[in-house]
Amino acid sequence: MKALLKRGFNLLDSLFSRAFTPAWNPLYQLGALSFFYFWIVAVTGVYLFIFFETSISGAYSSIEQITHGQWYIGGVMRSFHRYASAAMGICVTLHVLREFAMDRYSGPRWFSWVSGIPLLWLLFASAIGGYWLVWDQQAQYIAILTAEWFDALPIMVDPMASLFLNESTLSDRFFSLLVFLHIGIPLALLLGMFIHIKRVTAPRSNPARGLAAGTLLAMLAVSLWRPALSQAPANLDMAVTEVGLDWVFLNPYPLINSWGPGNTWVLLVGLSTVLCLLPWMPSRRPKRTPVAVVDPDNCNGCGWCLADCPYEAVSMKEHDFKKGHKQSVVDPDLCVSCGICAGACPSSSPFRHVDELTTGISIPELHIKELLARTEASLAKLSTDQPRIMLYGCDHGSVVPDIQSSTVAAISMPCAALVPPAFVDYVLRQDLAEGVLISGCCEGDCFHRLGNTWVDQRFSMERMPVLRTRVPRERVRLRWLGAQGTRALQREVVEFQRELAEAPALIDLEDVSSG
Amino acid sequence: MASARRYLAQAVLYALFFLPIVYITHQPLHRHLPEEMAELKIAVRHAGKVIGECTDVVAADYRALPGAAVRPQICPRERSPLQLELVLDGDILYRDTVPASGLHDDGVSSIYRRFTIPAGTHRLLLRMNDDVAVAGYPWELEAEVALQPAQVLVASFKDGFRLE
Repeated sequence: MKALLKRGFNLLDSLFSRAFTPAWNPLYQLGALSFFYFWIVAVTGVYLFIFFETSISGAYSSIEQITHGQWYIGGVMRSFHRYASAAMGICVTLHVLREFAMDRYSGPRWFSWVSGIPLLWLLFASAIGGYWLVWDQQAQYIAILTAEWFDALPIMVDPMASLFLNESTLSDRFFSLLVFLHIGIPLALLLGMFIHIKRVTAPRSNPARGLAAGTLLAMLAVSLWRPALSQAPANLDMAVTEVGLDWVFLNPYPLINSWGPGNTWVLLVGLSTVLCLLPWMPSRRPKRTPVAVVDPDNCNGCGWCLADCPYEAVSMKEHDFKKGHKQSVVDPDLCVSCGICAGACPSSSPFRHVDELTTGISIPELHIKELLARTEASLAKLSTDQPRIMLYGCDHGSVVPDIQSSTVAAISMPCAALVPPAFVDYVLRQDLAEGVLISGCCEGDCFHRLGNTWVDQRFSMERMPVLRTRVPRERVRLRWLGAQGTRALQREVVEFQRELAEAPALIDLEDVSSG
Repeated sequence: MASARRYLAQAVLYALFFLPIVYITHQPLHRHLPEEMAELKIAVRHAGKVIGECTDVVAADYRALPGAAVRPQICPRERSPLQLELVLDGDILYRDTVPASGLHDDGVSSIYRRFTIPAGTHRLLLRMNDDVAVAGYPWELEAEVALQPAQVLVASFKDGFRLE
């Protein structure tokens, strides 16, 4: 099921990236979009609250007045409020499914996964509370069933459902309580959302501006075309017969009625528990690889690995034996052995005057020394019939070993950001290859969150360690095509080789610059 | 031209996202109560009779009690559970015994039940026992009710059953 889901997302990723560009791809920013929709709901909610009357007769009539009396602003606000909350519900659901499909919920990511489960409950509670306030037929339906659902809990002494026996048993104070809950629960949700991203380095809580603008425009269009409307007013003296439901949030309600409140509790609490335990399920637990190791002799305390670690697994402490210096420390509980730290370390340079290459921080699975040895060994085997290419790829992106040939050497690693920019310089300067191509996960959707972003920034000299200016840029390519882009990458390699064949030799370029 | 195509594709994808949202936020309709059916709700909140009698405090007990707690009688706190039975057209629709709330069973007993019954005329019998010392059902209401489709009939209790 998971593989199928992943395949589905990969297909959709390609489709959306083509239409939106990777930077605007909504599937890469489902969490950020959820935040965005939350803010829309919050802002429009404040406006609606100004005109809302907290009484039995006033609740429905005041919302009708907002919807029809000031359709041009109040009606649009109400529609935004409803459609943004539904959009948030769908984005959150897709976010959960995507993180599950892409295996981004275990290891150090357990915290974000587990802290997200209560947020689902808070999101549903916020939305359901909002529907009560309208006090129409739908509100009557969910009010009675929610009360009966809670009455099934053994902690309830007086049945809450007794509040909704008939028109005479309901009081205005009930609506004051509802408003309080409808403000309090979303605030708790917001707090939970901040906790959810607390352990994430550089969390993305704002979508790309273009995507945000497009979403707003689309929502405005549907709000004007099909404004959110109330159903017939609630009347507790008559039972609800047929009712229109918001199936995004109210889908458990028919279950409460047909299955019984107790069974529905068991189902939903059971499902939430299973979701919470998912990161520790034996079959889903990822293979634990040895974590990054710091070599104090070669760590100068620059902090670049600290800045680049996407999991906040690196911190700094006093140097073991250099007084007044800092030294990196790795938290083994948070490290996922992606190797991004090794790519960030200034000591990971093959140009260093040392007998054997070593570095300040590296992962045992692929030490920087081994990466260099493999690079040199695989390039040495290449034929010179065509321009030689060094292709570095990541284990989660395009399958680079499939592209290996007599003129293309390929090395796959946990994350493309493991390749220090100095390696590219070294390969070209030592004339080991005519071109270097680095590939990995789709832009904006790195398995290790920020790997391809850091590589982009290092190579465009926006982030340390930079790719030196002397490296001819036309001999270096970065391609983020993802797991589904192996064929496209193959075409890129062929194209790159063709261009390199036509380009002047490196030695000529150096002659020109020195001359 | 390429960007125009891209924006057009985006518009299509936005539409594919929001149009289903517009639809599923109120459709398809859900049939909650079948046609020609009505609802009967029972809501009883009543404290059963105290089980046992008060006993006079003897002189020896006075000495054991703190000064402020001196009283002429000691009374038990436990209350009788409520036994409720609903008979509709001769058939028992509901029968249950509900204990008193509270750690010492000294609170009220609460019952709430919602039933879906066919609309039309019915013979309704509600009876309740709130005292374990008494056999049978001291509280009883028998009535013929005519229910319209979707009508909600509430049977509550306050010094006796009543229908609303």
